[in-house]
Amino acid sequence: MKYGVMVIGAGHAGCEAALAAARMGVKTALLAVDRTAIARMSCNPSIGGIAKSHIVHEIDALGGEMAVNTDYTGIQFRTLNTKKGPAVQATRVQCDKAFYPTRMQAVVDQTPNLDVIETLATDIWVENGKLRGVRDSNGETLAAETVVITAGTFLRGKIHIGDESFEGGRIGEKAAYDLSTSLESLGFRLRRLKTGTPPRIHRDSIDYECMELQPGLDPPPMFSWRAKRELFHVEQSGDDLFHVEQSDIRPWRPGSDQIPCYLTHTTPETHAIIEANLTRSAMYGGQIDATGVRYCPSIEDKIVRFRDKSSHHIFIEPEGRINDLVYPNGISNSFPKEVQDEFVRTIPGLSRAELVNYAYAIEYDFSDPTQLDHSLESKLVENLYFAGQVNGTTGYEEAAGQGLIAGINAAIKVIRGTPLILSRHESYIGVLVDDLVIKGTDEPYRMFTSRAEHRLMLRQDNARYRMRDHAARIGIVDPDMVSETGRYAEQVESEIERLNRVRRGDRTLAQILRRPDMSYGELDGRDETLPQEVARQVEITLKYDGYIQRDLERIEKARGMEEKAIPEWVDYNAIKSLRTESRQKLNEIQPRTIGQAARISGINPSDIAILSVVIKRGRA
Amino acid sequence: MNMINDDTIAAIATPPGEGGIAIIRLSGPQALSIADRVFECAGLPPSKRAGNSFVHGWIFDDTTGEAGPEVIDEVILLVYRAPHSYTRDDVIEIQGHGGAVCARRILRRLIDAGARSADPGEFTRRAFLNGRLDLLQAEAVLDLIRARSDRAATMASDQLNGSLSSLFNDIYDNLVSSAADLESSLDFSEDELPGHVIPEIQDRVRTAAEDLARLRATWDEGQILREGALVVITGQPNVGKSTLLNRLLTSQRAIVSGTPGTTRDTIEEGFILNGLAVRLVDTAGLRETDCEVEREGIARAGSYINRADVQIYVMDASIGIGTEDRTNLERLDGDHSIIVLNKIDLGQAVEADEVRAYGTPIECCLINGVAPDGIKDALSTIIESGIPQMQQAAISERHRSLIVNTITSVDEGLSRLGENEESGVLLAANALRDAIEHLGLVTGRVYHDELLESVFSRFCVGK
Repeated sequence: MKYGVMVIGAGHAGCEAALAAARMGVKTALLAVDRTAIARMSCNPSIGGIAKSHIVHEIDALGGEMAVNTDYTGIQFRTLNTKKGPAVQATRVQCDKAFYPTRMQAVVDQTPNLDVIETLATDIWVENGKLRGVRDSNGETLAAETVVITAGTFLRGKIHIGDESFEGGRIGEKAAYDLSTSLESLGFRLRRLKTGTPPRIHRDSIDYECMELQPGLDPPPMFSWRAKRELFHVEQSGDDLFHVEQSDIRPWRPGSDQIPCYLTHTTPETHAIIEANLTRSAMYGGQIDATGVRYCPSIEDKIVRFRDKSSHHIFIEPEGRINDLVYPNGISNSFPKEVQDEFVRTIPGLSRAELVNYAYAIEYDFSDPTQLDHSLESKLVENLYFAGQVNGTTGYEEAAGQGLIAGINAAIKVIRGTPLILSRHESYIGVLVDDLVIKGTDEPYRMFTSRAEHRLMLRQDNARYRMRDHAARIGIVDPDMVSETGRYAEQVESEIERLNRVRRGDRTLAQILRRPDMSYGELDGRDETLPQEVARQVEITLKYDGYIQRDLERIEKARGMEEKAIPEWVDYNAIKSLRTESRQKLNEIQPRTIGQAARISGINPSDIAILSVVIKRGRA
Repeated sequence: MNMINDDTIAAIATPPGEGGIAIIRLSGPQALSIADRVFECAGLPPSKRAGNSFVHGWIFDDTTGEAGPEVIDEVILLVYRAPHSYTRDDVIEIQGHGGAVCARRILRRLIDAGARSADPGEFTRRAFLNGRLDLLQAEAVLDLIRARSDRAATMASDQLNGSLSSLFNDIYDNLVSSAADLESSLDFSEDELPGHVIPEIQDRVRTAAEDLARLRATWDEGQILREGALVVITGQPNVGKSTLLNRLLTSQRAIVSGTPGTTRDTIEEGFILNGLAVRLVDTAGLRETDCEVEREGIARAGSYINRADVQIYVMDASIGIGTEDRTNLERLDGDHSIIVLNKIDLGQAVEADEVRAYGTPIECCLINGVAPDGIKDALSTIIESGIPQMQQAAISERHRSLIVNTITSVDEGLSRLGENEESGVLLAANALRDAIEHLGLVTGRVYHDELLESVFSRFCVGK
């Protein structure tokens, strides 16, 4: 049988890709080596955080699963940056590491049009330059119209613990070597990256009283429209009631019964042990030369790069309700086991810590994302898409956002529609994809709010409004959500119009509400009947109004450049006045518009001036 | 060879008028072959010569038919080979004898041989497009070309050497690093960050604001140096204003007569005073009149007075201060005015001390041809005092408006930081981004990558 969409790899990107394609009515296969490892949280047990939370909200607004899955399996809910203004406010949820994948697997199982195939893909099957499907380790051919590669860190994955190293995609899982070779033979440029994960500690070996308590928020902030709406949640699976909590309380209210995190820190003794053993670290001993995550550095990195800091934070995050393990966020490393034991025990609260799993570093192949279009389809092989960590990103959210886009676009390709391309000024996912395909990356790419130039417009609170038109077109979100969003949007608009019209004394209500200390709830002349969410949108929109207007003007101004196409006949090699470096970059990335060209790193304004002149005169 | 500049341009590079030599420049892929066609010398033709070499020879015209080739000029020809030239194209420079006619004939000959007459500033534009100059340097070149005085030339050449660029870059770097600190505080949560850094960032932004204010102040200086100081001669009819103009210019530029109201329109002439460019304007005498032409002239005089850097008010000292004089004197800006008490040979009804409150008084008798040195000295003192003594080069109008925008954004950032509310940090960070963007337009730097790079290099936090 032939599938419309075939997804290789069932991590966070793969699940979103497969679910989206299947929900769009396209026959879809999800290839996983081990069915029980689908949607596994291989590193930290949390979803969201600054800028990442924005992505999760957009995923929810477009019809992805990550937001819902997180809300229904969350064990601690927090809001970050509460005082810094709504644009940078973010939600972070600690998930139950066992139930997050379990629930996602149940969703995958229940989704019509979606088959899980347990196998290891070894080869992209291309005949006469045309994509036919995938070959697997059993020598079988699996036919598909489109293929989405979401291989995570599995491509030539190599794990390091101190001077010990072995092949593997994650701890305890096989790496994919043949697929790398297959991609290279198709002409894809692969490069190496590295990342790491900390040891896991048994929760009963920790002295919590030495640490600072970090409780969750009540009421819990949620990502998804559905969890906010359905107070009680029971998941249906086959004939049996499948419950995410599998506890005795059922139905269970999402966000109830939260578990706290704890905060501790490294000490001078910790630093001394690490300094003394640097040569034994895989990353510092020279075993790994791939590029690591700068802003999620290993503890070796932190101590070497910031020698003036005598202490670093460590967050103690529970991995679940039933799970015995705790994730110590902030001490990822690649030391031998005995060094890990030694330094961990110098940390307050961890003096008798029992390390159940040891920290490891992993290096892996990623495919240079500048080989992709904004639809995440590769420029080299038609109908072949790439999403997630294989594109050089880090983080579940970044992976899921790409997976959703790639899955939707693969399905659109099958049903012959217009691809979904999100712009930088309407979404963080748009910023993510544009950065990847235009700038590429030299290190694992993590989302930040500072990457988004239109940050004030891209808030988590308005994700559903920003994504509304796209969501309606793609059609995989709950229709009730689309219509409610439409209704709310109208209410927001008419309320803003009213506040601009109605006066109290010599000032309009809008002017009064714009004052820093004023909120909608305190406004004399407010509309009590408005839903809370509408009131909040009105307030935020008015408070940022001046800035947003300026942003909109800037977007309008840039539109000319953004939309000015670079014609097919432009041959960068023939434009001798471009610097050699610029010519190389432009040839490599092949931007579609002048605006895209201007964003390529290393391309400067005079290159753009030259390019514009060439296009204007209509010849090289 | 340069595909984008695929034609070859030519222009006379020296200013029009009499001069020792005239330089004609040729730039583009055909520069060498065109030179071969029009130039004759002993030994190798230009296209066979090395770059950075010169050769003596003749520009000739062989299109004269039966009369045979005609020598246009005896010249020195300089060969620059790409990319080692001003435009990074092949460039030929022809140094001929001065005089407009000769230079124009050479240019005409080059165009006949296949060159195209260059647009204004086109050489510099090519240099910019070929990456030879940055935007600031390109502007400086244009200023240098247009410079009216030695001092303006020094200023433009400083800018060309990048002293202005480095000043802008210092401010730019300061703003980028401040913005990066603010951005980091937004992108990492409270518990991941070190203690409060805001006051320290505030200090740095304040320093940037002060530097920017100083840069803006240099605009006035730059204006005077580039455009020349505007000096306007005013006074009642027939007090000797036009005579003063002629004396200062040492020529008979203006018609002078004993008839009041002889000068009906304004006359503007430039001259160099102690290395400073001066635009000297003679105006119609200020009086009530029925003559429409004269009234229009008086109105124009008014508009010049409003823009004047220095006003020279001329009075007939033999008559005394009339009511109209009194009114006019009171309108003067004392620090930027000179009061010329003319015609003292006819008697002195006004003493210098009586008018000292309104400006610098100078007693003289212009009609007798007494050299008005006192006036020149007073004039240059006033103009000099209007120029802040700054080492750095001054900025152009384009820079000024970008700097004004930058200052607006920086001020907004500062006020947001001063709000004592954490939500101000976000808006302050946005304001600083705007500021950096404006400033980047001056030097052509792009902030986005640099800002992120700067953000990422300074923090050590977990996920």
